Amino acid sequence: MSTVSTRAPARADGPAGTRPPARRRRARRREQRWPAYVFLTPWMLGAAVLTLVPMAVSLYLSFTDYNLFDPPRWVGLRNYQEMLTEDPRFWRSVGTTLLYVVIAVPLKLLLALGAAMLLKNLGRGRAFYRSAFYAPSLLGASMTIALVWRALFNDGGSVVDILGSVGIDTGGWVGSPDLAVYVIVLLTVWQFGAPMVIFLAGLQQISPELYEAAALDGAGRWRQFVSVTVPMLSPVVFFNLVLEMIQSFQVFTPAFAVSGGEGGPADSTLFYTLYLYERGFTASHMGYAAAMAWLLLVVIGIITLILFRTSRSWVFYADEEGR
Amino acid sequence: MPEPRSGRRRPLSRRAVLAAAAVGLSTALTASLSACSSSGDVSSGGVTLTFSWWGNDDRAARTKKAVELFEKEHPGVTVRTSNADFGSYMQKLATQAAGGGIPDVAQLDYRQISQYAGGGALLPLGDALADGTIRTSEMDEEFVRTGLYEGEQYALPMGRGITGYAYDSAVYEKAGIPTPRPDWTWEEWARANRRITDLGLESPDGRTVVGANDNGVNEDIFEDWLRSRGGKLYRSQTELGFTEDDLTEFWTFCDKLRDEGVVAEAEDTSQANTTELSPMGRGLAAADFTWDAPFPGYTALLGDQVHFAPVPTADGRQGAYFKPSMLLGVGAGSEHPKEAAALVDFLLNDERAGDVLGFTRSTPPNRGIAARVARTLEGAEKEIYEYAQRMEKYGLDAPPPAPPRGDVAIQTAFKRAYHRVMYDLASPRAAAREFIDEAERELRS
Repeated sequence: MSTVSTRAPARADGPAGTRPPARRRRARRREQRWPAYVFLTPWMLGAAVLTLVPMAVSLYLSFTDYNLFDPPRWVGLRNYQEMLTEDPRFWRSVGTTLLYVVIAVPLKLLLALGAAMLLKNLGRGRAFYRSAFYAPSLLGASMTIALVWRALFNDGGSVVDILGSVGIDTGGWVGSPDLAVYVIVLLTVWQFGAPMVIFLAGLQQISPELYEAAALDGAGRWRQFVSVTVPMLSPVVFFNLVLEMIQSFQVFTPAFAVSGGEGGPADSTLFYTLYLYERGFTASHMGYAAAMAWLLLVVIGIITLILFRTSRSWVFYADEEGR
Repeated sequence: MPEPRSGRRRPLSRRAVLAAAAVGLSTALTASLSACSSSGDVSSGGVTLTFSWWGNDDRAARTKKAVELFEKEHPGVTVRTSNADFGSYMQKLATQAAGGGIPDVAQLDYRQISQYAGGGALLPLGDALADGTIRTSEMDEEFVRTGLYEGEQYALPMGRGITGYAYDSAVYEKAGIPTPRPDWTWEEWARANRRITDLGLESPDGRTVVGANDNGVNEDIFEDWLRSRGGKLYRSQTELGFTEDDLTEFWTFCDKLRDEGVVAEAEDTSQANTTELSPMGRGLAAADFTWDAPFPGYTALLGDQVHFAPVPTADGRQGAYFKPSMLLGVGAGSEHPKEAAALVDFLLNDERAGDVLGFTRSTPPNRGIAARVARTLEGAEKEIYEYAQRMEKYGLDAPPPAPPRGDVAIQTAFKRAYHRVMYDLASPRAAAREFIDEAERELRS
């Protein structure tokens, strides 16, 4: 906005004082906004046609029984009610997803922070290691990697064989209801590169003066970490936490690949999104699937809101120092 | 944006972090249900038909060749073909049906008939059958009825499949078990499993070779078991044909054999998605229940000592039946229903098409063509052809009408529910109760 007011006089037309100043300013602003909207049109069209309309349709479908063949039939809250009160698999999928989020997100963030701390002080080779650690984040979302992962942890897979040769006989993880979910947890944690790069950027933002001052006061490395790094980095931690949490709730590809699309064995990898997909595309209950999608949206929204609210007590923003 | 003050790095502002997080939230959430596909139909003079199927490369090559023959016979008709693997084909066809148009001619799964016919996606074929555009005189009448929905013919079977039992005859001989006959019983089968396990043969990974795969996951085999006792899977389009007690008995039987260690372990059963990964394919078990069409895959993998035998019975009554492995239907929105019907007839009844297509969709339903093609078969393919003839001679009950709409979901639910038994997460009765609840919910909706 400041750019608008500084440039405004140069484009002023008509003698001053013919119109009240406030009205003139408003008129000018209107005049100068339309090019912005013109340039935004492609994006807004895309957002409307590809995002808002499908979302509205999906909200409507969530109140219907729709099998792709017959026209949607209005059932009110029936889908939501069935989901919450009659469907044991829905709750199993919620349990599996929560277990996964609670384990995978902290592990991934800790690993990312640890790696970022190590890389921060690395002189030569930092660019190489940064790229090397980041690579899995680029590859990890692909179906291929998930299939490789499945092979590694299957009966006769390398990981299982190596563990077996050192006396840890686990059997195939993929076939075990207790272990299968950890195959997916490990695949997620392995992709710690993306939050790591953000942590690294955050670490580099912390002024060296703060560390110097802390060192002069006799703070050791641990003290410096706790009293300087952690508070200064807390906005970045918060950012990564929110992002990873949202992504983890929506994990799909690895669960689909590792379980062969069925969420097995015995529903142990039946993530929420996988169950949603199964309801919609295998069982042709699009209304039910849409209801699940909307419930997920609401729940993620609520959890994000809670994170934002609690963040006030633990996230430190440097620009709030004076307040 | 203001310049950072001299020397000091700009600390992250609250607003920047909040904005970034908000962007992250919104982009992450836009990943939602969306699948679209549409195909424009361009015909340039004459008639253009579309025809789609699922299946492997061999089937694709043979089908395209048969289509070329059809085009030569019908000048002015062009057929545009498309094919995919089973999973994506099912989804694509469902989306096309929702968008108002499946191809003029489409290969369909038995489980789709009720849904597609009931949903108005298929053209009734009564007229084409009445005026002889599509001929069924060379086909088994009962078998043709598998394409009925509410008394109307919506599709015609393209191939005829039957369940059976792939077993390693060398192991069976060593254990002194006679060759399984069409009237062998489930008790004999259980005893065979015990004797094979008692041999103590070592599998490639060092464990003892067991009698067979655990067939508790296999709804097709449960259906054979039910039929052999006079029951059926579905009473109607909205009702199951069996009770909690029936299923509990079946699963208890399977569960007990696995507990005894004479059929495959839970971990091996849950990984058995392909022939290669099945306990028999991995050398862990001496036998497996399977359909006839995939059987040649077992001999290719394990050798010629593997043979195809009948599914056990309760007391001589065979539960296996001839099932359409796939059907052909005409899209309700087809602009050229006459030509589409002609293509259906050509693929089913023309001798030259029959020669080209061979057994790529298991036994052709046209008896004349099946016998003609059978003369050229050898090895495992010949064995499944002879098996089918033997079973026909032995006598099988009529196949059930097309399964209800929810059948796809019910079949996966069956497998999943038994997984809970396998891993001791539920008793056979509790799992049966849960499965029946789910199946009934599926049939109601």
